[in-house]
This record gives sequence, structure tokens and C-alpha cells, in this order.
Amino acid sequence: MSETDHNGTPEDDGRVLAAEYVLGVLEATERRAAAQRIEYDADFARDVAFWEEKLGGLADEVRPVIPPEAMWSRIEAAISEPVAAPQSAGLWNSLPFWRIFAIGSAAVAAACIAALVFIGTGGLRDERAPLLANMRQTTGGQPGFVAAIGAGGTLVIVPASLLTADQKSMELWLIPAAPTGTTATPRSLGLIAPNQPVRITVPPQLVPFVTRDAKLAVSLEEPGGSRTGAPSDDIIAVGDLTNL
Amino acid sequence: MDVVATRSQLVAALTRVAGGDRAALRIVYQDTSAKLFGVCLRILNDRSEAEDVLQDVYVTVWRKAATFDPARASPITWLVAIARNRAIDRLRASAVSRRAEAIENAEAVRDEAPAALDLVVAAEQQARLKTCLDELEERQSSVIRSAFLDGMTYEQLAERMNVPLGTMKSWIRRGLIKLRACLER
Repeated sequence: MSETDHNGTPEDDGRVLAAEYVLGVLEATERRAAAQRIEYDADFARDVAFWEEKLGGLADEVRPVIPPEAMWSRIEAAISEPVAAPQSAGLWNSLPFWRIFAIGSAAVAAACIAALVFIGTGGLRDERAPLLANMRQTTGGQPGFVAAIGAGGTLVIVPASLLTADQKSMELWLIPAAPTGTTATPRSLGLIAPNQPVRITVPPQLVPFVTRDAKLAVSLEEPGGSRTGAPSDDIIAVGDLTNL
Repeated sequence: MDVVATRSQLVAALTRVAGGDRAALRIVYQDTSAKLFGVCLRILNDRSEAEDVLQDVYVTVWRKAATFDPARASPITWLVAIARNRAIDRLRASAVSRRAEAIENAEAVRDEAPAALDLVVAAEQQARLKTCLDELEERQSSVIRSAFLDGMTYEQLAERMNVPLGTMKSWIRRGLIKLRACLER
């Protein structure tokens, strides 16, 4: 939101942004940021659902066009790939997760395994299982980072594909799980590197928020990191924390 | 088939898709693919891209059917939202080179008349939307329709209508705020 009409409350801005997102008038970067916001802002997600339902009727104006005969076989072939089961049976059975190892360089794959092994040993001495996040890039859904957090709050984050930050810094955020209808405030876990694994100790006051269903996200920030304490609109990767 | 039957058949099919039933996905495809292909084609203005996106849409439906909540969305608006999102994402990704062409062709492919209301959202909801759009200034409702159907950005709409970007944003935002107030009444 910028320029004219910027006299509403932040809540109004969010509501208009949701409508703009659904209408489809946003440029690529704003659009990506809005799509991301659906993931962590329940009010925003509700507004998006409102507009999708209300404006959806406009599609009645579109003339139906019968797709080519071969289309159904293409779809059938696509859903026959192993990954296609509607409910994935957890991360270890998830093809996209294993693809990370294939896509990443040998060094990255080794670092992933090293991260898991390192974190895993800590987990053995503790009742709480380590958590893993497969963070996908917000454009295109390609792997972005893999992060593992051990019970003691030690986090290792490993880039899973080639990422560039240009002049920006990459900052890691913990988005606590929030009850339906409420919005969790993202908490900074510090800066990370686009091209090498980074080990971070989660501050003790944030450890209770490291739970299943919390999310990790990476944003692009001005050099040195966010000055406002909140992530910029430019979220480049996000993923849920899952049990191993 | 009447609207209510189509709707409940689609809800039932989507529920089965969520359980991994391919035959049910086929039913959803048969009932909705012409509409969704039309939506993708209108936005992308390119047959081969629209086909790729359509494939992607049904693969998404296959994977995400469990997230469809019939209490919150009607099946066709849920499907249309997936199709539009995919098509617009594709359009933005390939924007620069195709932008000028898309704007020129947008007028040319405009439908002569609204198609029959086949897979309708509940009739009263449809009527409400129409009433509320009619309450807006003509130019507001017209750009809102255009944005929705063609997937154009503020900038493209401003160019097409030959008004400054700020003016276009202001028309649409005010229109949306008014529209929301009316839809919630």
C-alpha cells in the first residue's frame, strides 16, 4: 500500500490488500508478499477467503473453452508420480524433501545430513524430538532451506539451492503457532547466510515457541537486518516445523 | 443439471478426491475443466501456457482437496481461485516480454456476451454481487471486472485506460471498499 488512499488504519490496509491480491492487480513482488502473508496472518487469510468467495462469481462471465482431449491423460500422468498422494505420510516420505538432496550440490547434501545428525544426537538425550523445516521458496516452490532444531534450542539452517541476496541481508524468523483467528508475531532468530550452513542458538525466551505447526521464514532485509523488529514484505522462503 | 445438484455433486467429488479417489478427480475435471480453461485462457491469452497451467490446477486440486471447506467456500469459487492464482502467477513470471502484446490482445479476445451461467455460485450470491457492482461508479465496476477477468496489474489498467497510476489505484481501492461495505450489508 502506498500513494493515495493511505489514510486508513493498518487493519483497513490489510483488508484492501487482501482485495487487491484476489483481484490480481498487484505486481509480482507485492503479490508474492501477499501470498506469503496468508500463511502467517489469519485475519488476512480470512479477508482473502471473503473476496475469493464474493468475487468468484465474476468468472461466470468467462466463456468456457473445452480443453484438448489429451489434457486429462496429462493430468493423470502427473498425479501418478510418487509425490502425488494427497496426504503425504510425513516428511521422510515426501519426494520434494528428498529432491533437496538431489538438487543441492554434494556439499549441500552432506551439510544437510551433517545438520540432521548433529541435531539428532542432542534429541536422543531429551524427550522432545528434534524438529525439521523444509522451507520452500515463495516463488516457484523450489527448495529454499532446510533447518533442524534440537530440543536445546540449537538450530542449523542449510541452503538447499543457490540463492542470491544481492545487497540485502537474509533474516530468519520464527512464526509461532497461533490459535485459529489470531495472528502470531514473527520473532527474529537472526541473520543467515545464503551460501553456507549457519548454526544459531534460539534465545531461551523463544524456545517455548519452537513447536510443531510453528513456521520458519526467511526474509530479505536491508543490510544488517530488519530495523523495525518485523520482517519486510519480501519473504523468500517459508516452511512448517515438522517432527522427524 | 440444476445448480444445487451440480454444487453438491462437486462437493461430494472433492471430498472423495481428498481421500485419493482418481475417479472423483475425473468427475471434477469433467464438470469444471471448460470453465477453468476459459479462465486461464482469458488471463494468459496463450493456449499452450493455459494448458500447462490447467494441468497444474488439477494437480493442485488433487493434492489440496483436503483443504477445501464446503462451509466456507463454494466448490466452483474455490476452483476458480486456484485457477486464477496459478494463471496470474504464470503471467507475472513471464510478464515483461508478453506484457505489451497481452494488453493489445485483451480487447480483441473480450467475450461478446457473458456466457451462460453454468456452474453457478448460489443465485442470490450472484445477484448480490451484481447489485453491489451496480452501486459503484460505472468506471469503477468496469475496471474491477476487467482486473478480475484479465489478471491485469494496476499499471496495465492505468495504461489501458490512459489515466495516471495513482488515479487507477484510487478508483479501484475506493471501489473495493465500497463493494465490501455493500456485500457485508
